[in-house]
Amino acid sequence: MIRSRPIIALTAVAALLLAGCGGKEDNASGPTEIAVWNGFTDASATNFAAMIDQYNKDHPDVRVTQLMTSNDLVLQKVLTAVRGGSPPDVAYMYGSWSPNIAEISTVTDLSGEVSKPGWNWDDFYPAERAAATVGDKIVGVPALVDNLAVVYNKTLFAEAGIAPPAKDWTWDDFRAAAAKLTNSKGQYGTLISGDASEDTVWHYLPMLWGAGGDILSPDNQHAVFNSAAGVKALTTLQQMAVTDKSLYVDATNANGVNLMNSGKIGMLVTGPWDLPSFTDIDYGVQVLPAYPDGAGHQTISGPDNWVIFNNGTQRQRAALDFVKWVTAAPQVAATSKATGELPTRTSVGEDPTLVADLTKKVPGTDTFIENLSNVKKSRPTVPQYPAISQALGQAIVSVLLGTAQPADALNTAAQAADAALAGK
Amino acid sequence: MSSTTELAIDTVLDDAKEELPAAPRRRRLPFSPWHLVLIPLTFVLIAPLVWMLITSLQTHAEATHFPPVLVPQHPRFQNYADAWAAAPFGHFLLNSLIVTLVVLVSNLVVCSLAGYAFARVRFLGRGALFLTLMATLMVPFQVTMIPVFLIVKWFGDNVWDALGIDHIGALMLPNLATAFGVFFLRQFFTTIPVELEEAARVDGTSRLGVLFKIVLPLSLPAMSTLAALTVLTSWNDFMWPLIVVTSTDQMTIPLGLSYFQGAHNTQWPLLMAANVMSLVPMLAVFLVAQKYFVQSVASTGLKG
Amino acid sequence: MLREPLTSSRSPRPSPIQRWSESLTGWALVGPGAVLILVFGGLPVLMSLTLSFQKSDLLSTDAPWVGFDNYRKLATDPLFVEAIKHTLVYTALFVPGTMLVGLLVAVAMNRSLRFISVYRTAAYLTMAVSTISQGIIFMWLTDQNYGLVNAALNTVGIESQPFLSSPSQALYVIVAMTIWGWTGFAVIIYLAALQAVPAELHEAAAVDGASRLTRFRTITVPLLGPANLFLLVWLSINALQLFDEVYLTTRGGPLRSTSVIVYYLWDQAFVQFNAGYAAAMAYALFVVVVIITAVQFRITRKYVHNT
Repeated sequence: MIRSRPIIALTAVAALLLAGCGGKEDNASGPTEIAVWNGFTDASATNFAAMIDQYNKDHPDVRVTQLMTSNDLVLQKVLTAVRGGSPPDVAYMYGSWSPNIAEISTVTDLSGEVSKPGWNWDDFYPAERAAATVGDKIVGVPALVDNLAVVYNKTLFAEAGIAPPAKDWTWDDFRAAAAKLTNSKGQYGTLISGDASEDTVWHYLPMLWGAGGDILSPDNQHAVFNSAAGVKALTTLQQMAVTDKSLYVDATNANGVNLMNSGKIGMLVTGPWDLPSFTDIDYGVQVLPAYPDGAGHQTISGPDNWVIFNNGTQRQRAALDFVKWVTAAPQVAATSKATGELPTRTSVGEDPTLVADLTKKVPGTDTFIENLSNVKKSRPTVPQYPAISQALGQAIVSVLLGTAQPADALNTAAQAADAALAGK
Repeated sequence: MSSTTELAIDTVLDDAKEELPAAPRRRRLPFSPWHLVLIPLTFVLIAPLVWMLITSLQTHAEATHFPPVLVPQHPRFQNYADAWAAAPFGHFLLNSLIVTLVVLVSNLVVCSLAGYAFARVRFLGRGALFLTLMATLMVPFQVTMIPVFLIVKWFGDNVWDALGIDHIGALMLPNLATAFGVFFLRQFFTTIPVELEEAARVDGTSRLGVLFKIVLPLSLPAMSTLAALTVLTSWNDFMWPLIVVTSTDQMTIPLGLSYFQGAHNTQWPLLMAANVMSLVPMLAVFLVAQKYFVQSVASTGLKG
Repeated sequence: MLREPLTSSRSPRPSPIQRWSESLTGWALVGPGAVLILVFGGLPVLMSLTLSFQKSDLLSTDAPWVGFDNYRKLATDPLFVEAIKHTLVYTALFVPGTMLVGLLVAVAMNRSLRFISVYRTAAYLTMAVSTISQGIIFMWLTDQNYGLVNAALNTVGIESQPFLSSPSQALYVIVAMTIWGWTGFAVIIYLAALQAVPAELHEAAAVDGASRLTRFRTITVPLLGPANLFLLVWLSINALQLFDEVYLTTRGGPLRSTSVIVYYLWDQAFVQFNAGYAAAMAYALFVVVVIITAVQFRITRKYVHNT
């Protein structure tokens, strides 16, 4: 039976606790508070917390706080916050969102800012700068850089009697190796994400570029990935998936790393973030193969950015200063050392001692850092990119599952992409 | 209570104490054969829980091995300590407890009042209002979350600070009453025999009195079910706290769990350890609530 | 065993004053709940309606009014039609499936055995386990190469099925996965309802010679009316709004075979930045859900003891 008195007491207690818990007091004087939203976990989280402490100590007039948000969902949170009039000061956001974030009015355009001294904007790798640039605007400061290379299982290669991949290897070599590494006992030569998301697409793009193709025309007005180069690249995947059956199509995109680490996959195209997970195998890293008469050993990078929001001059200035410090060369070097992430600045990436140090901790890092110079092209920063990506993703998966031919699939996708580009 | 109502209740109790037919014959097995059905059934149902437990005691390599490792080599209880230390879970636990408690009490009170009214009180606009409330369940949260955010923010700015988005009041506010609770209790209240209520009303008991003295005591299974479900939903709520929490000290446990889910890697053993720990309070709630799942004897024998 | 009501339920027609006081009482009781739900549930629904008439990406402040354009686009969008089809197929399988399984399990658990509280607690705990864990387990179990289900199928000579990797099978795997996940809920609801079925009725019928099945059919099932309606409506509302499980496993794939309305909507809002279009979709869904729910209330009216 419900009694009314305890309820009243309970509500009163709750009210008191409510008033006590949480919430910042308005502080007209006192340090400027800025909030940084990010999704760092593990070593990155520890490292970033330490950096914030250091910054707060050195700058008593500023207080930096951070809020842990899930990286994938931070966009929804930011959109809601912006709509509701309470955005953060700094947020870690995926580079693929740049063209769309550029339309948020409270996002600070840094194009005037970064040419000022102290930023060394050109020290950032070209791919990062491209991912942060939308037309005339610069919407963020590079926070992370990576690229795709081939991680291979040395033991499986030895067992199959294949020489490990050489620096100048071709896609034919890759295909042959994959075929030899596939057996009937659940072992596959290689694996690709088959969920038709951007993950699938960005595994295909380096092949498209390597074959000499492009995603969009130079004026970004229509799709050109259905060129002969595009078909050639997709055909390579088709041959492995459908003909050789050496390419495992992972529809849920959850298993690649686990399968690799369990010794079930011979070669995995992935990035440096996965290296620490390969604890149970003896692995090596090699750059992506090239096409003969193609455009070299192209690869792709997926940089992420610190986006700064305008919440008034004082907070914005504090935010800019904080991001400038966090992305300065000494901090970049320290972060790389602590987390194993690739350095975001060329000057740091070319420091042989640092590279050797990183490689000792996580073997293969040196190859990934060198591979940054193979990032020659990047994805177009147009707002319609998500639609283009989706069309391309569906096309690739339909070919991988054997339900379509490369030329037809790419033509259909190009039509959809053109419609999207025209529509908006 | 008036004499008529007492008479009603006594008659009912007497009926219930009538001799029941003889107990069933002794089984040939030392235990009921139903156990043979229920045990495997239960195991199938709780397989995810078992997997969570197993993973929480493994190392990362074991947890991500393919095919899955079912028995960890050396159970790593250290994972629990590591998970607890990874984020201020003590504070998150406190927040979760407060929010869930307030939401629970509010729902039980408000939804039983409303559910009773929909079940038994003929008021103008009853049908239309019920349908309208139900309609609020039919638009997905992905679409309504921004308007809800704006409304809660407005409350914080204009009504009471503590309810606004910078405080944990924001976590409670949209959930203080749910159409689910109203619907659920309305259905159950309609199974309470109208005769009992009418007897009491003839004696002059007010509507509210009937609710508290007759209907609610007979609705313990429903109320405790609603309590268990409300606790569950509130405890596990992730999307709304994600959207609305602005600082670490307002986080609830589900948000705390995202500390283990990075952009590329998930720390499965720690995540599962934290998950298991967060189940413990809910388990406690349920063990208490399920005692009331059994209907009290007084209400039997009235159908017909 | 009909019993005389202690007072006549055929009381004289209420006078206007009695009707008004009845209404006032009703409003007072319903008031707090209605206000809360309407403000935090109803108002957002209305506010999203305005979004559906705009061309908005939620990013820029500029959101031009486009009237019914979003709805017109919706009517000719083949992907939306596909999503509706998948959602309806899913709902038609999931709702009866969960109710049936839940009822059977609840009947099995509705007895005073030793350890019965352990079994019931297990049923409750299945709901407490996060969707993530359920998703992961199912992905493992149904893995094409390494899953247990395929291992079992192989031993009886059936070849390995692609399950979640197959455009023709993935949706059905999700049906199975969600039935499994929701069984605990249905069990809890049915248990509460079964408790209200008086034991005497069963005993009396047993003495009269009725078999278990007959007793179940003629006594228990009708009295489960309100619980059935509740589950039917609630499970349908949830099924039509399926999202989490699809997001966690197939992301609408392979080849859009598991694209359901809310997933497509979410994708439009937060990946393609077409929030106005997504809101229009939500309203189209809303209309569908309202119609289905209304129909359910209507056709089950005679099966339910109601006021």
